[in-house]
Amino acid sequence: MTDTRRILTVENLKTYFKTPNGIVKAVDGISFHLDKGETLALVGESGCGKSVTAQSILGLIKVPPAKLTGSVVFKGQELVGLSDDKYRDIRGMQISMIFQEPMSAFDPLYTIGQQLMEIAKVHMPWSYQEAKQRIIDSLRLVHIPEPEKRYSEYPHEMSGGMLQRIMIAMALLPSPELIIADEPTTALDVTIQAQVLNLMQELQDSYNGSMIFITHDLGIVAEIADRVHVMYAGKIVEKASVIDLFENPLHPYTKGLLTSRVKREYKKEGKDLPYIKGHVPKASEFSTGCRFHSRCTYATETCKTTMPPEIETEKGHRVACFLFERDDLVENFANAKP
Amino acid sequence: MQVTGYVKALEKVDFSISERETIGIVGESGCGKSTLGKTLVKIHEPTAGSIIYFDPNGKSYDITNGLTKEVRSTFRKDVQMIFQNPYDSLDPRMTIRDTILEPIQTHKLFKNLKDQDRYVRELLSKVGLDPDYGKRYPHEFSGGQRQRIAIARSISVNPRLLICDEPTSALDVSVQSQIINLLKQIQREHNMAFIFISHNLDVVYHMSDRILVMYLGNIVESAPSRAIFDNPTHPYTQALMSAIPNWNPRERKLGTVKLEGEPPSPINPPTGCPFHPRCEFRMDICARAKPEPTEISSGHFCACHLRDLTIDSSRSAG
Repeated sequence: MTDTRRILTVENLKTYFKTPNGIVKAVDGISFHLDKGETLALVGESGCGKSVTAQSILGLIKVPPAKLTGSVVFKGQELVGLSDDKYRDIRGMQISMIFQEPMSAFDPLYTIGQQLMEIAKVHMPWSYQEAKQRIIDSLRLVHIPEPEKRYSEYPHEMSGGMLQRIMIAMALLPSPELIIADEPTTALDVTIQAQVLNLMQELQDSYNGSMIFITHDLGIVAEIADRVHVMYAGKIVEKASVIDLFENPLHPYTKGLLTSRVKREYKKEGKDLPYIKGHVPKASEFSTGCRFHSRCTYATETCKTTMPPEIETEKGHRVACFLFERDDLVENFANAKP
Repeated sequence: MQVTGYVKALEKVDFSISERETIGIVGESGCGKSTLGKTLVKIHEPTAGSIIYFDPNGKSYDITNGLTKEVRSTFRKDVQMIFQNPYDSLDPRMTIRDTILEPIQTHKLFKNLKDQDRYVRELLSKVGLDPDYGKRYPHEFSGGQRQRIAIARSISVNPRLLICDEPTSALDVSVQSQIINLLKQIQREHNMAFIFISHNLDVVYHMSDRILVMYLGNIVESAPSRAIFDNPTHPYTQALMSAIPNWNPRERKLGTVKLEGEPPSPINPPTGCPFHPRCEFRMDICARAKPEPTEISSGHFCACHLRDLTIDSSRSAG
């Protein structure tokens, strides 16, 4: 029996690129799932593979030259290896995407209306008049003032925050079941960011849609996610509910990310800011072991040579780290201050 | 070409900075914080007002309308800048050594080439890079390393004032902390004054003695950094504070941020208080008259009519 609430299952997804410097394992064997109405946050720093994961799900990676293996099942349908034609029925229709840079995601030569109309023409059975009305309604829904006037204006006439809201309207136009948002607020100011996040949450609640939210900002994760997966160098290192991740982070990398917040106490105590030493290994320099070992204070010989398995410490909380194989070590680690 | 209007990037900004002090400037994009930085290093000429510079001997110069020959070299040596994007601010065709050498040679700091070379190596290790990296080119470095190179270049002539324009916003969180620690360490060792421009309130708080909050080219509030955080007074500052996520999934702040709308265009700024179209406490007077900064406690200034009202009413009550 299949679970009807399950909307997406990703199993051992690998996306490799061939470059002159060897094979880049941008995404290297990740698995996760998503239920209806859920918001999953993929968190990690630049180059960890979070955006490539999104593009792989959407079939935006050109194969070949890239190599894509594993399985992505969306509502019972396998997406890996799907033909371009079939993908077109899903992409933009049942799964849509919100990109990071609203300024560069729109074509400067076409009006907002023309660009939204394109989606309607490709995907929806509406007449021109009906489509126009629905587009204007959707602009109103994302709080664009005077949507009738904005419909025939060009992207350069809008602010970044407005364009991002229009992109949300565009993504929601075909009422997709899954939205993938790749750093949708990174280019925006904090007060505008709050407005956009608010709006996304509001709309998601009313649609009961699912969302994969990609970000490097743990502050945003705390605000919007139900579950969080932390990515590092092409792997998922920790999976947890948002509460568990913030209250009981397990992986040393997750702990490092959480301590990188600039807290007010540091200044009062005259302390330097804590940070994770070292740097992310280059994709061509990956060892066979844990990819975080060179930066990890708890690394052992095993960590250098063997990839840690994913260990479930409690229901719904999984971590890929040898520290959690033995209970005595877990105790020590849990009590240690980061 | 048709001129449709003039952008008032900076309307009215008053402040002074003394040695070893750090002034933080916060605000959203388009509020004029970068324009302020660039005006101070004389990239832009102000339309009105004045900029006074004090040389190391305490002699003052009015540098508003350009640098005279007499003061140019001292000023350029004394005031340096670090830019936001280390991918744009380093010349891709110059080696790291040549990049760092440029200001040193311009100001003729060394006669002896050997000393000069040793100094460049010293600078590189001071910013946490291998001294042998001097032979390499910018594309061989990560964003964090490039920002370190930019820092090495800017401190090479021993400036007394360093203007940092969003020095960490292009960097990953874990790298951001390293750069901030480095800047603090350099400030301690060299007794520099900093003007630290950022949209990140947490970072600005960590760096600054005083904070100026800007909105549409105006300083709407300025105070010692603790006072800004403990007692934000201008409605805009309050909104800015409320929009910072607090990293606690049990206490979500989304939905509590009251700020509606977006900053208006600086080409056609609103009359009266620049913030009044978005302000939840706006009164009739706000559209008519621009509020002047009022000192509400020692060193804490706020430009808001609400403040004048409370002061007036307490006066009339007393």
